[in-house]
Amino acid sequence: MYQLTNVSRIYQKGRRTVPAVRDLDLVIPSGEWLAVQGRTGHGKTTLLQLLGGLDRPTTGVIEFDGQDLAQLRETQVTKVRADSFGFIFQTFNLVPTLSAAENVETALIPLRIGHTERHRRVAAALDSVGLGDRARHLPGELSGGQQQRVAIARALVKEPKVLLADEPTGNLDEGTRDEIIALLEKLWGDLGLTLVLVTHDSSVARRAQRVGVMSKGRLTFRPNSRPATAPGSPAVSAPVPDPSA
Amino acid sequence: MFFVTYLRRELRRRMRQAVFIALGLALGVGLVVTVTAASAGVKKAQSDVLTSLYGVGTDVTVTGAAPGPPKSGVPPKGAQTFQVGPSGAEICSNGKCHSAAGQTVDNLGSQYGSFGASKVAAAAKLHDVSAVAGGLTLTDNQITLPKNFGQPGSGFPQPKGFNVDGVDLGHSALGPLSAGTLKSGHNLTAADADSDVAVVDSGYATANNLKVGSTITIKKTDFKVIGIVSQPQGGSPPDVYIPLERAQALGTSLGASLKGKVNTIYVSAASAADIPAVQQELKKLFPGATVTTASSLASEVTGSLSSTAKLANDLGKWLSVLVLIAAFAVASLLTIAAVSRRVREFGTLKALGWRSRRIVSQVLGESVALGIIGGAVGVGLGFAGAALITKIAPKLSAVYATATGQHFQSVGAGGAQSFNPTATHTVSVPMQASVTAGVIVLAVVLAVAGGLLAGTFGSWRIGRLRPATALSRVE
Repeated sequence: MYQLTNVSRIYQKGRRTVPAVRDLDLVIPSGEWLAVQGRTGHGKTTLLQLLGGLDRPTTGVIEFDGQDLAQLRETQVTKVRADSFGFIFQTFNLVPTLSAAENVETALIPLRIGHTERHRRVAAALDSVGLGDRARHLPGELSGGQQQRVAIARALVKEPKVLLADEPTGNLDEGTRDEIIALLEKLWGDLGLTLVLVTHDSSVARRAQRVGVMSKGRLTFRPNSRPATAPGSPAVSAPVPDPSA
Repeated sequence: MFFVTYLRRELRRRMRQAVFIALGLALGVGLVVTVTAASAGVKKAQSDVLTSLYGVGTDVTVTGAAPGPPKSGVPPKGAQTFQVGPSGAEICSNGKCHSAAGQTVDNLGSQYGSFGASKVAAAAKLHDVSAVAGGLTLTDNQITLPKNFGQPGSGFPQPKGFNVDGVDLGHSALGPLSAGTLKSGHNLTAADADSDVAVVDSGYATANNLKVGSTITIKKTDFKVIGIVSQPQGGSPPDVYIPLERAQALGTSLGASLKGKVNTIYVSAASAADIPAVQQELKKLFPGATVTTASSLASEVTGSLSSTAKLANDLGKWLSVLVLIAAFAVASLLTIAAVSRRVREFGTLKALGWRSRRIVSQVLGESVALGIIGGAVGVGLGFAGAALITKIAPKLSAVYATATGQHFQSVGAGGAQSFNPTATHTVSVPMQASVTAGVIVLAVVLAVAGGLLAGTFGSWRIGRLRPATALSRVE
């Protein structure tokens, strides 16, 4: 599904350059659950944004389903995001003036789906996250866990190929965190999605199929993970320290 | 419908700001509507004044130049002169003099030079002229001379009088009487051409306790009042209308008879577009005469009417433009601020696949909605402002001066003195501000334009917004 080759993202801050991602090679097969751990400021979110077409690399190729996202025009990337990517954010990012159902509906607006079909899919998505009876509630009337469920429904309502989650449990308590991760795991399993989840929480990362660690812009993988290189290249086998220790 | 729902909810979320923007636009638009309505009311008042001066259907008027004192120094036959000599002030006419002290002079005089009937016919034959009528605009003046007239320290008494209009009964569709509405009795007809009958203006009739059947004395001749007419409100109509032939028989111009003459020619052009050309042709036909159109006459009318017109057009216009600019600026700044606060929200929508133009249209829609609301309230404020102006504005006055047609010279111990008494006419004009459909359309267009402008400024950065940058904003 994804093939990243020599991808770097360097920010310019006055005279200083800040390399958020450096010389990254990565293959993510379709249907894989990849967790990306790392300390704050080491490039996890930047990697996720590059995978989601929210940002463009300074160098390198990001191939998604045969298209280089870096070379597409903005309108083309927007269309890919509309069709193929679902996003979940740490702070939920719901529109505060829209109800739960209307927030889920925002993901379907770019797809120009008819009114009736939109409402059917929204209802189904909310049901799948257990919030069918909260459709008319505003985000301010929902708990943190419920808001994140709405965000998950919003991400999944368009039946994306890839789900990109940036610290989805970062703002939640332990119990709710476990609920959300369990929900994501179930949905990933049921729908056969490709899931890339950024987290600093090891207990969350452990549940993924593969765990990568971002450290100063470079991605390495833990032992018992598949190598973070293109097929046919030597695998990385050295153990990597747990960044949360 | 999602568009409308999102729009409505967002405006409700920032209700205070939305109300502020809408009210600002409403104020600007309301001021434009009020000033335009006031200006329209003043223009109508001016038009009413002019209409009553010249009547309906008159496009151009020709009036003779005011006659000056005789160049030869010898007064024309029949003219009256005054002199102060050893035996005191005297009135002289045709070489015979008698004491002027305490005397009352009653004169039906013309303040304009006159034209013969052939000139009227020549005007009717001009290109693009559809109708012509001649008339006599006269003033019946009574002056009672004081006993010390002509001596040092003596002043000239103010004449008492009224305006008399000699009406061409063969062309009654032109001239001041054509604008009148009959209130009682009946109007002058062609059969009255040689009769001593008069139609009186309703304002003059009330002031002088006249009604149908009353008698009014003109140049020591009794005329029977056969009708009372009312002119357009705010006009400056003649006080009395008599048949032209009778006015010609009684009136004089510096002592000279006015038989067969007119001093005002009313001309109707074939179309409004022909008026300037007709005016030029008449100037060639009547060199030295005053050829005026309604628009040129307007500049001669003074008084609070003309100063109010200037105020409405100049100060009022610029004030409303300034207020509108301020309202647009405030609306734009507040919209920019609102968009800045929603950067993360818009970044999320972009992440979901919303195109920039979809987001921009949402922001523009919010601003235009505020513009429409502001426009509607502004039109309401404009109506209220216009109604308030109509209710509380004092009556405006239109002042214009007319020569009495009399010329007096006195020679005595005080030295030679020359007097050309004028009569000023002050007319009260009610102020009625009116809101027209065109103004309402203008108001709505301005309000929507204000909303669009604010939305454009506010949404300008959305197109350049990178989703990654927007999502990293802390709110």
